[in-house]
Amino acid sequence: MTTYLYEQDLVPQKYRILVAMRHDILVRKIALELNIPVQELRRYLIEHLDMIQLENLPARAEMAADHADQGDAVAQALGREKYTVYLQILSGAAMDAIFREVDARLQTGTPLDDAIAYGRIQIREALNI
Amino acid sequence: MKRIVDVNIPLGPIHPCFKEPVRLKCEAKGERITGAEVELGYMKKGIERIMKGRPWQEVMFLAERVCGICSVIHNMVFIEAMEQISDIVVPPRAAYLRVIANELDRMQSHILANFSYCYTIEHETLGMYLLDLREHVMDELERLTGARVTCAYMIPGGVRCDIQRKEAEALLVSLDRIEGDLRRYSGMFESGPMIALRSRGVGILTLEAAQRAHVVGPTARGSGIAYDCRQNHPTYQKLGFVPITRPDCDNFARVMVRFDEVFQSIDLIRKCLRELPKGVVRGGGVCKAGETRYSGEAPRGELTYFIKSDEFGRIVEIQIQTPSIMNIEACCHEMIIGSDSIADVTATFISADPCVACTER
Repeated sequence: MTTYLYEQDLVPQKYRILVAMRHDILVRKIALELNIPVQELRRYLIEHLDMIQLENLPARAEMAADHADQGDAVAQALGREKYTVYLQILSGAAMDAIFREVDARLQTGTPLDDAIAYGRIQIREALNI
Repeated sequence: MKRIVDVNIPLGPIHPCFKEPVRLKCEAKGERITGAEVELGYMKKGIERIMKGRPWQEVMFLAERVCGICSVIHNMVFIEAMEQISDIVVPPRAAYLRVIANELDRMQSHILANFSYCYTIEHETLGMYLLDLREHVMDELERLTGARVTCAYMIPGGVRCDIQRKEAEALLVSLDRIEGDLRRYSGMFESGPMIALRSRGVGILTLEAAQRAHVVGPTARGSGIAYDCRQNHPTYQKLGFVPITRPDCDNFARVMVRFDEVFQSIDLIRKCLRELPKGVVRGGGVCKAGETRYSGEAPRGELTYFIKSDEFGRIVEIQIQTPSIMNIEACCHEMIIGSDSIADVTATFISADPCVACTER
């Protein structure tokens, strides 16, 4: 059976991109932030992003660090724009729903740390990891 | 009634308009592009891995082999990063000669990029004029450095060879000719009604989208981002460098920024030759242990080297962030989305001056 180069499985190549120095530092940082196993996060990224998005992750993360979620502590803690607009690992609708839930909890008097921890659990669930 | 269906249109890996192999899987609704996915891996060199553990004397040659079009800037950024680690001071004359080599490289790269764009929109006459002009720039690069492509002109503490007075005079004469011809060609591009139809309002990259994707170089400056790494370089600061921008955000703006930057490069080279300080071109120095992040302005934008070296000047860790990574990503996920025609996909892609060799390293 003939196999074509352009139909090859891209997983090994995508994995190579993610284990490069700066990519690895970023992936480990996100995994720590969201309390996700590193390999599970890598698998998610490989499945959901194309090769050039993976290559550009550190540059986008730098821009997110400088510009995303300015002036809103909750949005910054949850990475509202960082994960949706910049790193593009979560849809905007899913993040908006999580943000609304966290906001509702804060309105009912839940401490900030607890509300953010709840929000991060919701992000993990939305990522299905 | 005609039914509109969703269609997947693969472009590449081998395509007449692409200089290098890359595969774009475009999703279209009718003729309108709704999404795109990029597949790389057709020319992966693994050059960062080859560099690890090698002494800087070998890595400087490997660095300029990352890309055949902008090899001078890879050489320059790697060497200046090693100089920063090792506190090596460059003689003023050598610093000016570096600018001349770098600007000649930028000129040939921009002219080649604009040739590719003209070729893609099927304005082959203008394309061939530009390709001919590029040869003259390549000749000047050869006159200065002794080679057309992998020049290895810059070394820690200076440059390999000085420029003679006769060579400097010949370079100035050649620049006058190049400037005259290019003014005619850029005028043809700017006033061509068919070119405008294919270029104005096509491949829009908004300022916000460009910032999010960290787009750099003429692609960013075509969207109004006034950022150029040369602003932070001490030699360029002495020359009074100011970045060129255009606010239009389309293919036309990106190509015109490149034309404008070639004229700017010509002025910078003239200024360098006029103010060229006297003195040695090799200051010497020893590469030491250290870690740094160093950026320089490649023809396509900000090129960054992350380097860690040991006490013998061997490279322990290295990662190269090339401008094409950011520009191709933004091109495929922002610029071509919403294009009204499949034909605009290739034109928009080429307008971002993508370099797959740089991207894949």
